[in-house]
Amino acid sequence: MIRLANVSHAYADDSVVEDLSLSVAPGEVVGIIGPSGVGKTTVLRLLALFLRPNEGTVEFDGKAVWSVDESDRLALRRRIGMVFQEASLFDATVARNVEYGLRVRQPWSERLRDLLGSGLGSNGTPEAVEEALDVVGMSHKVDQEAHSLSGGEAQRVSFARALAYDPAYLLLDEPTSDLDPRNTGLIEEAIREARDRDIGVVVATHDMHQAERIADRVGVLLGGGFTEVGSTETIFERPTDERTRKFISGELVY
Amino acid sequence: MPLESAAQLLPAVVDLPFREGYVSSIISVSLYVSVIAVTLSTLFSLPVAVLMGFSEFPGKQLVKSIINTGMGFPSVVVGLLVLFAVSNQGPLGALDLIFTKQAMIMSQFVLATPPITAISLAAITGVSDNVRDAAHVLGGTRLDVALVVIKEARYGIATAILAGFGRAISEVGSVLIVGGNITSADGISKTRTLTTAIQLEARQGQYGTAMVLGGVLLTLVLTINAVVVRLGDEGAMNR
Repeated sequence: MIRLANVSHAYADDSVVEDLSLSVAPGEVVGIIGPSGVGKTTVLRLLALFLRPNEGTVEFDGKAVWSVDESDRLALRRRIGMVFQEASLFDATVARNVEYGLRVRQPWSERLRDLLGSGLGSNGTPEAVEEALDVVGMSHKVDQEAHSLSGGEAQRVSFARALAYDPAYLLLDEPTSDLDPRNTGLIEEAIREARDRDIGVVVATHDMHQAERIADRVGVLLGGGFTEVGSTETIFERPTDERTRKFISGELVY
Repeated sequence: MPLESAAQLLPAVVDLPFREGYVSSIISVSLYVSVIAVTLSTLFSLPVAVLMGFSEFPGKQLVKSIINTGMGFPSVVVGLLVLFAVSNQGPLGALDLIFTKQAMIMSQFVLATPPITAISLAAITGVSDNVRDAAHVLGGTRLDVALVVIKEARYGIATAILAGFGRAISEVGSVLIVGGNITSADGISKTRTLTTAIQLEARQGQYGTAMVLGGVLLTLVLTINAVVVRLGDEGAMNR
C-alpha cells in the first residue's frame, strides 16, 4: 500500500496541497477528481516518490520512503509506474520508448550488450513491450518514430511504457485527455485489467464521469485538500461534505 | 576574365614549391593538434555542461557568463598565457613544453572549451523537463536521466563539438606563439600547421601557395563537417 499521511507541499511560496491523506491498495482503482490547477498532478507526484513533501509522511508497504536510503527508495520507486498528461516520449522508436523501463532495470553488462545488439540491428522486441503495446492497440506501430505519432497515439504509447515493466502501482494523470471515445474505452478497459491483476491504480481526472465508471474509491480535491474520500457510490450518490456535493452537482464552479 | 585569372593561377598550383611530404606533414600536425585538443575539451566540457544543466548553485549565472565570455577570448592572449605557463620560468617550465605540439594542444584546449561547453549547455537545458521527469518516474537513476538528456541533446552537442573543432583548426595566433611554426632541417613540419603555413606564405608574398593551402584547409573542414552531418542524418534514420 502507498499512503500519504497529513502531507503538505508547496512550490516556492505558493502552497499547492495542505494536510492531505490518501492511500491506494493493490487491486483497487482510486480516482482523484477536482478542477484544473487544484493539485491533482502534485498528489500523483507525491505518490510516485517523485516529490518530497514539505510536511507529512509517505509510506510504501509501511516504510517511510523519505527516511530510507536512496538505493532502497529507488527499489520502491521502480515498483511504481506513472503516466504524465503530456506524453513526453523520447526521441526514438515506439519500441525503444516502451522498453525504457525494462532497460534501466537491467544490469549494465546486459544494457551494453543490448546497445551493441541494437547498433547491429540484431535485437528483437521484448515480449513485454509487444504485450503492453497490444493492450493499448499500438502494436502495429512498434517500429515507428515517436515524433511521428499523433497526440492520442503518443498518449497510448506513454501508457504502454508504464505498463511494460509490470508495476505494482500505476499512477495516471488525465490518461485519456487526448483520446477519442473508442480509445478512451480501450484505456479504461486496460485500467480494469490492471486492477484484476492486483495492480493499485490512481487516476487523476477532471472527467467526473470517467471516475464514476472506473474508480472503486474517489477523492475530491478542492482548495488544496480532499474535501472527501470515499467509495465511488458514496461520493456520487450520498456525499457528506457540502463542497463535495456542490462540486459533484456542478453548483461549485472554479 | 575570371577564367584568365584562374589560368594564371594554374601553374602555381601544379608547380608548387613544396618539398615531398611537406604538405602532408602540416595537415598531419594540424589534425593531430586539433583532434586531440577538441577530444580533451569535449571530455571536460560535456560533464561540466551536464552538471550545470542538472544543478542549481549560487553563482551559476556568473559561471555561465564566464564561459560565454570565454568564447570571445582573443587567441593571441591565450597563446601568450600558455607561453608564460610553459616557459622556463613558468609553472610548467620543468616539462619543457615550449614550441611543442603539446603546448599547441594546451592553447587550443583553452580556446575550444568555452564554445563546446556553452553550446552543449544550451542544448542540454533545451531538453524538455517532461522528458527528464519521464526518465525519472520510469525508474531511471540520476545517471540514466543524464544519459537520456544527452541523447535528446545529441545534435546540439555535435554542433558544439564542430564549433570547437572549427575554432581550433582555423586558429593561428596562439599556435604561432606557443608552437613557433617550426619545421625540421628536411622541411617536414614539427609545429607548423596549415594556418601558420598560410600566414608564412602570405607574408613572403607567395600568394598562390597560400591560396592552395587555404583550399586544403577549407576542404578538410568541409569534409569533417559533412561526415559529422551525414552520420547525424543516418543516426536520425536508424534510431
